[in-house]
Amino acid sequence: MPLQQGSARMRQRTVLLVGIVVLLAALVLAVVLASLLTHGRHEVSPKMLKWKDRGTTKNLQEVILGRCYNYITAQHPELGDKDCLKIWESLKDAFIYKNPCNITPEDYQPLMELASHPIPCNKSLFWSKTGDLVHRYTKSNQNFLTLEDTLLGYMADRISWCGDPSAPGINYESCPKRNECESNPGSVFWKMASKKFAEAACGVVQVMLNGSVEAGAFRSSSIFGSVEVFNLDPDKVSEVHIWLMQDIGGPQSESCSGHSIQRLISILEERNFKIICEDNYRPVQLLQCVHNPDHTDCRLCTNST
Amino acid sequence: KWKGEGTTQNLESIVIGRCYDYIRIVNPAVGEKNCSQIWEAFKNAFINKDPCSILPGDYELFINLTFHTIPPNKSLFWENNQLLVNSFADRGRRYMSLADTLFGFIGDFLNWCGQADSPGLDYESCPTTMECENNAVESFWRMASIIYAQHSSGVIHVLLNGSTDGGAYPQPGFFADYEIPNLQKDKISQIVIWVVDDIEGPDIESCGAHSVKTLETRLTALGYDVTCTDNDK
Repeated sequence: MPLQQGSARMRQRTVLLVGIVVLLAALVLAVVLASLLTHGRHEVSPKMLKWKDRGTTKNLQEVILGRCYNYITAQHPELGDKDCLKIWESLKDAFIYKNPCNITPEDYQPLMELASHPIPCNKSLFWSKTGDLVHRYTKSNQNFLTLEDTLLGYMADRISWCGDPSAPGINYESCPKRNECESNPGSVFWKMASKKFAEAACGVVQVMLNGSVEAGAFRSSSIFGSVEVFNLDPDKVSEVHIWLMQDIGGPQSESCSGHSIQRLISILEERNFKIICEDNYRPVQLLQCVHNPDHTDCRLCTNST
Repeated sequence: KWKGEGTTQNLESIVIGRCYDYIRIVNPAVGEKNCSQIWEAFKNAFINKDPCSILPGDYELFINLTFHTIPPNKSLFWENNQLLVNSFADRGRRYMSLADTLFGFIGDFLNWCGQADSPGLDYESCPTTMECENNAVESFWRMASIIYAQHSSGVIHVLLNGSTDGGAYPQPGFFADYEIPNLQKDKISQIVIWVVDDIEGPDIESCGAHSVKTLETRLTALGYDVTCTDNDK
């Protein structure tokens, strides 16, 4: 009997001890968790690099996937064999966990291959400093395609992305501006996509330039002037039509006879392209007139019978 | 089985993608929305039901989750001239047509329907409005049109096609049946009608005649200040 009572008391004491230990462990765990959480909240990604431009677009994956499916399903069913998930993965792999100043064209090669598609001849429309107008035009006239009307450009338009070596590998706070480093994910992407777009062009190509900018309608530093012009294939492209658009009621800084246009023409002629330049190409000007209907340039023929 | 096209492939990814595209890029001014929740509300309006029994009210939760105000003087109603409206509205910057609102943006050019006793979408075929009116897509646009009209204010613009055989102001039609009855008279200062003919197209309709006259008369009788212009510049 005394032995039994002794072991019962021992058991009671053990249970009590275990209970106390468990309580202490829970307390310690709670304190550790609390400090980790508050620590995390005050210093989001403490190790991420800081840049001057806006960060990666939030919900990048959903937007890219949605745009890809939208393009191949709702707009271009002939591209039905494209794998949007693979395309998204190849975009992500191009920049995730990498230093955003070290991006190379090779990083984007898989994406370029998966997402590229043929462009019908005579439809390529290049542009420089006319982004708003040119896309309003292609939206209303499906006979022309800008880079942003191809699958690659459509997915990436107005979006930004960049990675960082520390977790989670994507920087949503900031991304490098071009003057911070040239080999950043956005610049490398657009340079490569523009090159491919130019290489794919055939027949007659068009380019919409801005005759109201002070710095000149054609600049060698633009993507058009530095990448696209030099990647047009003379064996595939026969003619280049320049549409030189001036703002309605805006400065008439340059026309087809202007200096930078003459420079462009000589560059293109040297590469054996035939050039036609047109001031204020009427179909596009009519679109500009939507916002300036009363301007003299926007009057229709008033002679009525 | 049905005469219409089936559900658009990858509908869920497209809907969720468009939702985020709108709130992050197209019009971030509408603020934060829960796009997964929005997809669920959209889907639940029509799945697991007889595809001919879907009512506009079934989309109520979807509308509540996607709702945002429409700036005054920016509403643009239309009939039979969708492409013209798109370039004129300029992606919501000049005017905000129904397709420039979040709820319209999500559904534009898509097709969908479900089936009774199954949670799946029907990718084979969907009923046309001729086969049954209370189908998923028709009811969606009816609901969206109602809400769009109810929340329009200031100067209202209506763009009509003066070259179409069906009449510039079609009846029945969305504008006639779902939008006009839901305009809030006390919030609207003026209704401006534009009748635009196709370039080199026939000038079938104009202000003050035929269906446009019917429209002008109806709106005036309702007490609105109405103006009408032909072939807007």
